[in-house]
Amino acid sequence: MRYVLTKIGLFVLTLWAAVTLNFILPRLMPGSPLDAALAKLASTGQQVTNAQRRAIEAQLGSPHGNVFSQYWDYLGNLAHLQFGRSFTDPTRTVASSIAKALPWTLVLVGATTIFAFVIGTLLGVYAGWRRGKKADTAVTLGATFFAAFPPFWLGLLLLYVLAFKLDWFAIKGGYSEGLTPNLSLSFLSDAVQHSVLPALTLAITSLSGWVFGMRNNMINTLGEDYVTFAEANGLRSRTVATRYAARNALLPNVTAFGLSLGAVVGGSVLVEGVFSYPGLGHLLFEAVSNHDFPLMQALFLVITVSMLVAIFIVDLLYARLDPRVRR
Amino acid sequence: MTRHSRVRSAAVCAAVASIAVLGLSACKGANSNNTSAAGVLTIQGDAGDPTLTANFNPFAPPPNQLEGTRLIYEPLEIPSSVDGKYTPFLATGFTFTDPKTLVYTLRSGVKWSDGKPFSSADVVFTFNLLKKNAALDTTGVWTQMSNITASGNKVTVAFKTPNVPFATTVAAVPIVAQHLWASVKDPVKYTNTKPVGTGPFMLDTFAPTQYVFKKNPTYWQASKIVPTQIKFPAQSSNQSTNQLDVTSGKFDWSYNFLPDVKKTYVAKDPKHNSYWFPPGGTIGLFLNLTKSPYTDANFRKGLSLALNRDTIAQKAVNGYTGPASLSGLILPNLEQYLDPSLPNKGNVTQNSSAAMAAFQQAGFTKQGGKLSKGGKAVSMTIVAPNNFTDWVAAAKEVKTQLGAVGISVSLDLPQFAQYQQAIAAGKFDVAFGGFGGTGIPYTDFNNALNSKFATPINTATVNNFERFKDPTVDQALTTLAASTAAGAQKQAIYKLEQVMYNQVPIVLLYYGGSWGLFSTKHYTGWPSASDPYMLPTTYNNAMLVILTHLKKA
Repeated sequence: MRYVLTKIGLFVLTLWAAVTLNFILPRLMPGSPLDAALAKLASTGQQVTNAQRRAIEAQLGSPHGNVFSQYWDYLGNLAHLQFGRSFTDPTRTVASSIAKALPWTLVLVGATTIFAFVIGTLLGVYAGWRRGKKADTAVTLGATFFAAFPPFWLGLLLLYVLAFKLDWFAIKGGYSEGLTPNLSLSFLSDAVQHSVLPALTLAITSLSGWVFGMRNNMINTLGEDYVTFAEANGLRSRTVATRYAARNALLPNVTAFGLSLGAVVGGSVLVEGVFSYPGLGHLLFEAVSNHDFPLMQALFLVITVSMLVAIFIVDLLYARLDPRVRR
Repeated sequence: MTRHSRVRSAAVCAAVASIAVLGLSACKGANSNNTSAAGVLTIQGDAGDPTLTANFNPFAPPPNQLEGTRLIYEPLEIPSSVDGKYTPFLATGFTFTDPKTLVYTLRSGVKWSDGKPFSSADVVFTFNLLKKNAALDTTGVWTQMSNITASGNKVTVAFKTPNVPFATTVAAVPIVAQHLWASVKDPVKYTNTKPVGTGPFMLDTFAPTQYVFKKNPTYWQASKIVPTQIKFPAQSSNQSTNQLDVTSGKFDWSYNFLPDVKKTYVAKDPKHNSYWFPPGGTIGLFLNLTKSPYTDANFRKGLSLALNRDTIAQKAVNGYTGPASLSGLILPNLEQYLDPSLPNKGNVTQNSSAAMAAFQQAGFTKQGGKLSKGGKAVSMTIVAPNNFTDWVAAAKEVKTQLGAVGISVSLDLPQFAQYQQAIAAGKFDVAFGGFGGTGIPYTDFNNALNSKFATPINTATVNNFERFKDPTVDQALTTLAASTAAGAQKQAIYKLEQVMYNQVPIVLLYYGGSWGLFSTKHYTGWPSASDPYMLPTTYNNAMLVILTHLKKA
């Protein structure tokens, strides 16, 4: 029980620190939402005038009051889960922007994370069991090869070859132009087709981590006495591999899996950017480049909180899985 | 006009761009035949981030207001950004009864798309709406206007001080319907998702990644409008994705910088694909005129003479546009205003010995390979936003060229917002910036040189951020603003050109391009070098003028 209470205390403290940092960090960036809006205007080549600057300043929701009153308002609004309106487009609420982007990221990054974990772990078990054999070499080499790709670079390559040159997939977006998101079969299949390339990119590049982790754990575990004992008992080798070795080798990977599920919400800024995918990662990138403080704060908050919750749950689970940590 | 792109994102793009350049030449144009069906016009639309928000409020700042809004709401007249020539819309013409009084005659028989008649009351209402809500007055008409009245089909605008060239700004205000907007509670936050205008198109459907317009059957010049439907598919905020999209040939009209355009775009469908990249603004070095040695005109002249503008333009914009005339006019667009006494049309070519002579007059000599004064070597920091790749390329070339005359240059390439903050506050040595491009000499010179914009350091200004102050320039601007006669206007413009040429307040480098890409598969009549009636921009009211010029192919 004391263990759980300590963890809860730690959770609250980290949450406060994260929330406060979340307030401070965006304000340390040079430039203001106004400068960013003028930048957008100027980047289309239009001449910006002082009159425009004044009008835009009045139209944007610029920060009001001093830093302390802003911080106090911020904490108060958080307590009520009020995120306010976007600075760049005051006609939109931050909550609605996030709600629109969240499902895309949850499905795309969530599904690929689970997929990569399952496949990567199985491959790792296999490679670890057949250590030193040809199969191990093939899997390890392949994983090393793909681990060396930066995700956005692989994304660009797939985009250029499969979407632009071969025209098999759309080059951008989460669904075809002109469609409105809904749950009909035709829309879903369109969305799935658009998500193939980003999913492939994410899966290929994150697979390797799971393969290496699992393979190394397997090799360690296979050296344990109880595995030798099980083999000496004449159990079938597959039973030894899965029931005895893999089960124990899986523990550290499960922890990592919990954490990466927590990170799903953050999306993948670079990959979503490359494919112009309508998810949270892309939204975060836009918020940062527009100095949209309310949107940024809300996004960072969602990301940190889901990460903290994931860590908290993993901590509690660990206590159940491994009684030693409870002491 | 001056940028490569509509919206640029981070360094990622550079990588794709290079892949695109390498690979495109090998493309076979397999998917170049998927442009619009009959009657449909497809325009490369707004950048969605990542999706669009329906906002057809013609007074919302452009990133939030969808560009198509320009085809729904018409202004009184549209001045061409090439040479300032007017195309009349809701007005049939205007006269200055005196330099402070502007009278528009309105077109009769115009109807709002809901069937109600348009009248002078709508015009007066619109301007008063901007007066009441300063946040909507994005062009600052009420900084110059004192009053607006209507009688019959005439609308009279009174200015606070004589300002003839300001008619271009007044004429361009989009007019909204009084019977609909009078009841809008907060017009600043109003998204106007069911727009009713006098323009040639009406909203048909809106989806987060594409909006579609249909032709307004009761439009007053409906016979001149050929397309029956316009599609605006959302663009990515990722520039390289947009370049791929454009080269795949799905647009009838797009606006994008493309490297090696003949190979990457025209060759995909040589029969139909064409481009026109006219100069649309001037890129230059803005020197901080509150700081030594930039306060010295001779030093500035030395800088100007030390640069090879051909090479700079080649590096920056593939040579699509050329070196800039130091008169401050975009040539050939504004040739009619060019002072004939300026040598070589105001063009200055690199001349190292003349540059050294100018530096010497300013008290600088070359010592040990470094340009120095009183034993102190000259060094400068040039600031440019890192995502404007053409500016960055030009800055690198400037650094090399100034290095050759013994000036040590360092480049500061921050994010745009940081750059914007630095130049507005006057905290820079030398900054890259855009000059002119409105098609109206007065506006170009006034924005860049009028001393009333030159705020003290640490007080933000967007115009005249180099902080130039010269009473004779202010005088020439006042004279130009007050003159209605073409001859007097020209004389005042000549004076300003001479200041630009002789005092070099801004070291102009090259013309920024306007990147129009057209397919003549379905429509012809696009603006071109032989028929330069408008810049090919898809993001301002040039669109309305171009739509009335299109013919069926």
